[in-house]
Amino acid sequence: MTTQGQIPDEVSPQVAASSSAAGPVVMLREVVKTYDDDGLKVTAINGVTFDIPRQRFAMIVGPSGSGKTTLLNLIGCIDTPTAGEIEVCGQNLAALADDLITDFRAHNIAFIFQNFNLYPVLSAYENVEYPLLLLGLAPGERRDRTMALLESVGLAEHRGHRPNQLSGGQKQRVAIARALVKRPGLVLADEPTANLDSRTGAQIIELMHRVQRDQAVSFIFSTHDPQLISHAEEIYAIRDGKLVERHSEARR
Amino acid sequence: MMLLKIAFRNILRNSRRSLMTMSAVAVGAIALVLFGQFMAYLILGFQTTTVEETGHLSVFRRGYFEFGAGNPAAYGIGDYHRVIDLIQDDAVLKPLLRVVTPTVKLFGIAGNFDINASTTFFGMGVVPSDRNRMLQWDEYHIVRGGGRVPTELGLHDDTPTRGVIGVGVARILGLCKPLRVANCPSPPVEAPTMPTPTPDARQPSVDLRELAQRDRDVSHAGEAGAPRIDLLAATAGGAPNVLSLYVTKAERQSVKELDDTFIAMNLALAQQLLYGRGEHKIVGIVLQLNRTQDIARARARLHALFQERHLDLDVRDFTELQPQYNQVIGLFGAIFFFIAIVMGIIVLFTIINTMSMSVMERTNEIGTARAMGVRRSGIRRQFLIEGWMLGVIGATAGLLLAAIIAVAVNHAGFTWMPPGQASPIPLQLLTTGDALLIGAVWCGLLIMATVAALIPANRAARMPVVDALRHV
Amino acid sequence: MSTPKRFILLAALLAPGVSTHAADAAPGAVTAQELVVAADRIRNPQQPFRLTDTLVEYRDGKPRDRVVLIVFAREDKDTRQYSNLVRYADPPRDAGKMVLLHGSNMWFYDPSSKASIRISPQQRLIGQASEGDVVTANLARDYTPKLVGEESLQDADRKERRCWHLDLAAADPEAVYSRIEYWLERDTNRPVKGKYYSDSGRLLKIAYFHDYQEQLGTVRPTETIIIDAVDSNLVTTMTTSDYRLQEIPDAWFQRDFLPRLKAD
Repeated sequence: MTTQGQIPDEVSPQVAASSSAAGPVVMLREVVKTYDDDGLKVTAINGVTFDIPRQRFAMIVGPSGSGKTTLLNLIGCIDTPTAGEIEVCGQNLAALADDLITDFRAHNIAFIFQNFNLYPVLSAYENVEYPLLLLGLAPGERRDRTMALLESVGLAEHRGHRPNQLSGGQKQRVAIARALVKRPGLVLADEPTANLDSRTGAQIIELMHRVQRDQAVSFIFSTHDPQLISHAEEIYAIRDGKLVERHSEARR
Repeated sequence: MMLLKIAFRNILRNSRRSLMTMSAVAVGAIALVLFGQFMAYLILGFQTTTVEETGHLSVFRRGYFEFGAGNPAAYGIGDYHRVIDLIQDDAVLKPLLRVVTPTVKLFGIAGNFDINASTTFFGMGVVPSDRNRMLQWDEYHIVRGGGRVPTELGLHDDTPTRGVIGVGVARILGLCKPLRVANCPSPPVEAPTMPTPTPDARQPSVDLRELAQRDRDVSHAGEAGAPRIDLLAATAGGAPNVLSLYVTKAERQSVKELDDTFIAMNLALAQQLLYGRGEHKIVGIVLQLNRTQDIARARARLHALFQERHLDLDVRDFTELQPQYNQVIGLFGAIFFFIAIVMGIIVLFTIINTMSMSVMERTNEIGTARAMGVRRSGIRRQFLIEGWMLGVIGATAGLLLAAIIAVAVNHAGFTWMPPGQASPIPLQLLTTGDALLIGAVWCGLLIMATVAALIPANRAARMPVVDALRHV
Repeated sequence: MSTPKRFILLAALLAPGVSTHAADAAPGAVTAQELVVAADRIRNPQQPFRLTDTLVEYRDGKPRDRVVLIVFAREDKDTRQYSNLVRYADPPRDAGKMVLLHGSNMWFYDPSSKASIRISPQQRLIGQASEGDVVTANLARDYTPKLVGEESLQDADRKERRCWHLDLAAADPEAVYSRIEYWLERDTNRPVKGKYYSDSGRLLKIAYFHDYQEQLGTVRPTETIIIDAVDSNLVTTMTTSDYRLQEIPDAWFQRDFLPRLKAD
């Protein structure tokens, strides 16, 4: 929403993502998340410990209310754990100030939402361009990257359209382009196909696969769409806030 | 800038609500600007009228201002021609002065004894040519520009026995008909009171009426169209004095007490009445400057001059001679201030309301932005700019509308009768020299709008991301 | 007519004063100065005295108001100025009120409030308040006379009289009138008529002196008719009676003494 002056990497080294290093993209150790629901204490995540390797199509699965969205929020650094440690892209952000965590997200983490969450007042092009403004890139480079991504998701001709002029599938494609335009280390997608019909959903899944391979990005999904799950390379089953099953597939 | 673009598009998102909000701001701008212009017109008009009649500065004998009303003759300025020359020839004062004129104030009894009517009067003696020149003062071009006809005094240098009286005086002395004053009841006829006869009271042995008739002077009949009245006063020496005044017209005065006692005459006649056989002095010297802002300078120079020459004289400005002048100005200032506060509060609440609704509707958007890496300050800034923009558009539109309305009003030919005026004058809005007013109104409303947006903007910025995203 | 004004009227009424102002004259010939002095003597006694004064005000020939005053008059030996103390006797509502004329100051005293206030020249302007000035007898002192000539004149009773016509100009800035025309009966020097002019030259008052009777050794005018030349419907008759020589103590002419005064 703004072209805020982002902290350059050399000023706060802890923010710099060590994305080139080997090692899991996400590390969870005894993570607990509880919150207060009208005086009643609810434990959403009840002590989970696992790693998620890099550059994989990883999925967190489980019934509704199992805590998968909460887990995704914790991994996405938009929520903080009540107990335990989380490392994302090699960084433990727990002790940092909110502004620094925000900057970290701006550089390294992208989100794709069930409801697309595009800015209604911006065109497809502007929506995709937006994260680059947060990073303070020069206009020329912004244009290049934005157009490249729009082309790769096949929406170059629709770049002037507003979200209310696009179909669900088109909107999600814009969201994908927006997520990847900043070349993040990690993309988090919460039920990305839930609002799409199966055919469009398949197309989206196909697209995400392709870009993941092209750009060597880590994808973590939270879903109970079987079609999506069938593409999973890593599966983490969560029930009642605990990890109950862990599955690793070969690359597809 | 992306910020402005986004802010503008968000304003258009709910066009009806935005329009209402901007209209509130516009109305505030219009009200303040128009009232400010009207006020400026009133104040300058008031000043013009005051300066026309009272001049800018008056020179008196020391003590006159405080005590002279009870005994004007005792505070006369002797050898006044020399003082006037001194003032007029001074190098510092000369370029500042427009009119320097002597004046006399006196009181006594005015009578129309043909019908047994008499009343006290408060009179002033003036030099008519000087006064007529004073009545043409128009530094702010209000009279000419506003289509007002400059008033004429009704006295002339070459008719020294003619004078002007207040309408109340005319009424009390039964002169409405000859002076052609409308709506005038006749004065009551006094019923003679019969004294209780006492044994000592004898009928006069002489026919008193015949006796009185012998010397009756008929040469004092009024001139055509100018009825005669007698003015009685005690001279400075304490002797009773009387002379005739031929009244040319009755002029309504703004204040009733004044209207019932006012008489204006030529200076020479007033001196004749007030000083009689003694030295003819004056009570004050009235100075009218070219520009009001020169008052302080002229006053300082006068003081220096009087000290140099050891003259026992004092200087007063028109705000001291007419104390209600500053009170009226103060009143206007207070009213304007009050209106400004009210408008400001309305704008404040309107924008707080609008922005709060906007924030609530965009909760999900805020969450998304935060997730994407927008800092809290960034969120706050976005909403502040939107509030500010509502203010900018509203205020600017308001100012433009105010300009149009001002032109329309000035050409519509409205008139009104302010306190202190005896007849209706054109109603005008002063649009010249109001840059300060417009700038202040615009900035003030903008500050209000931005401050108003601060509360909802802060709320947006502090929203927990997870909760915001949970919203639909 | 308010009470103080009536007094004023009275107050200046008497202030008799004779200045022994010997003027140059050809031996044997009558000088204007001598005439005025003589006329003053006729009007008022030379020693301290008191008299009763009855004033009636007429409007359009009908009596409107009546007041009776007791007047005490005395000449100050040093200043040669006359002082008057006047006390109201009638009507009863005004009885006891007093006016003191001392030099050029005039004071009014009200026994019910025991307060004395100064009467300014302004307050002496109108109505009967001004009458008293007419009868001021200090003519010889305050005016420079000139003999205009001999004239025949009708007096108040419509009798023809041969008179000296004198023109008096104010010699003193404190003199009430700027000019007075005076007619004295040729052989007796009795004042017959006077015309009193203001500083502006306008005629203020006309006075007729008549009803000559012997009082305190001299034949004096016991009635004066004063016509207001400005308000010509207003005429006042002033009738003096009961003349008595009387020693008047200095204290009576002090303003502070007024409350303790029980003059009769």
